[in-house]
Amino acid sequence: MGKALVKIKPKKYKVGDIVKVDFIAIHPMETGLRKDKKTGKIIPAKYINDVKFYYNDKLFTSMDIWESTSTNPYLSVNLKITEPGKVKVTFKDNTGEAGEKSKKIKPKV
Amino acid sequence: MKKIVLTTALLVSTSLMAADSSQFSMSAADRAMYEEMLENNPADIFVDEGSELFDELVTEEGLAKYLGIETKDLPKYIAGFPRYVKNLDMVAGLDQVMQAIMCENGKKPFKLKSKKMFAMLAYAKSLANDEKINLDVNADEHIKAAYKLGRQIYNTPRGGRGLACLSCHSEATVGLALRTQILPNLGKVNAAGTWPAYRMTKSSLRTLQRRFQGCMKNALMAVIPIGSKEMVALEVYVTDMAKGKPIAIPGLKR
Amino acid sequence: MKRRSFLKTVAATAPLAMMSAPVVLSAKEAPKSPNAMDLKTALKTITGGKAVKDSDKIKLTVPEIAENGAVVPVKVNVDHPMEANNYVKAIHVFATQNANVRCADVHLTPMNGKGYFATRVKLAKSQNVMALVELSDGTFMKAEKPVKVTIGGCG
Repeated sequence: MGKALVKIKPKKYKVGDIVKVDFIAIHPMETGLRKDKKTGKIIPAKYINDVKFYYNDKLFTSMDIWESTSTNPYLSVNLKITEPGKVKVTFKDNTGEAGEKSKKIKPKV
Repeated sequence: MKKIVLTTALLVSTSLMAADSSQFSMSAADRAMYEEMLENNPADIFVDEGSELFDELVTEEGLAKYLGIETKDLPKYIAGFPRYVKNLDMVAGLDQVMQAIMCENGKKPFKLKSKKMFAMLAYAKSLANDEKINLDVNADEHIKAAYKLGRQIYNTPRGGRGLACLSCHSEATVGLALRTQILPNLGKVNAAGTWPAYRMTKSSLRTLQRRFQGCMKNALMAVIPIGSKEMVALEVYVTDMAKGKPIAIPGLKR
Repeated sequence: MKRRSFLKTVAATAPLAMMSAPVVLSAKEAPKSPNAMDLKTALKTITGGKAVKDSDKIKLTVPEIAENGAVVPVKVNVDHPMEANNYVKAIHVFATQNANVRCADVHLTPMNGKGYFATRVKLAKSQNVMALVELSDGTFMKAEKPVKVTIGGCG
């Protein structure tokens, strides 16, 4: 499964702030509607279809993603900071491959 | 071989549209949206992969040593590439220097036109982020010659349409629309400082020389090999156009 | 060698190129994707046939003119509380004329703090992008904006 990045913006935040959680994954997001130029065969659909966001193991956002989302998908939501810990993003694609990436949450008090 | 030369009228009808190119200009709101995308550039992940390869196969100390400079001077020095490299006795890009270092370390060097080298090149160049491009075309005889060759290639019509880089990228054509895209001033838009970049239409990390190749293909010119004397010379010429502009890798392009 | 000059001013007012993005085959060649779904069906599936009104509480941000159809930024901001019993339950993004209009179904919770979602989508051609919002009380609202997709440039 491709590499991924989880970013929190802004870099400095405190408890009570609402931050932005940015997720990018390297993934072809193949629609299954394109032909390989060399072989003439259809490139099979392969796209991330399930993404879940956890804050200290509590699920706070879940997404059903479709092949109309761009290659190397970018997904962004907000999160209200209540305590230190970590944000974990898990992702799966339609072929069953899975991955995950975490980011520490360190509020300045 | 007989060169096919298209008439002016045909070229005009199929390509440049001089009047009302404003319909193709980006609105301020749209530009803001695209600029914001730089904060979450998929190429950041490729640059990250490049950093892992770099730290394993080259290292900052290794690169500085090969170039005969102090490690702390690396960012400013990188901002002056392509340079005449004594150990290679030729004007070279960072990628070629890293190939040589890999060889010295007993490793099989990455091909210049490979994903791994693109990633490593992007990372190495990003070490100079925020530094101003300081390529000095008068530094020595070698870079002087490369600049002259680069300008000659830029200005020489080649291929099926008899086009030169200058045909579309000159002071006279800046601002005109070519296939719905506004032609940029390569110096003003800091082409040299913003490539390697993530190309949205290719969903991948692309380097400047590779972009040149794409341009040549579209203009029906024979493609010049990456890392060749001519291609490096062309990069020298185009980099000089952006002299003084800051390096910001990775960029984000259409 | 004479420098070629072909800079004649032409009073052409050419329309924006509105061709299919290279990522999708033409209607004749395209295989039926198992996910293919049109807007009407997608809306019905999600809302169960309920009426959906446009709302200016949804701030949908998309470019007026997308430089390319492969990566089109989309931002949705919903002006609505995110409290335990009153929050934005879901944001659905649709590319209204893609073979599969569905781009993302985002299920939010009060933990998000704001009804916000951003992504980048593929647009097969110029079309409207729609944000369908579901609130925790079961009501729906939507916002739609047109995006012109230019497939141009050299390479």
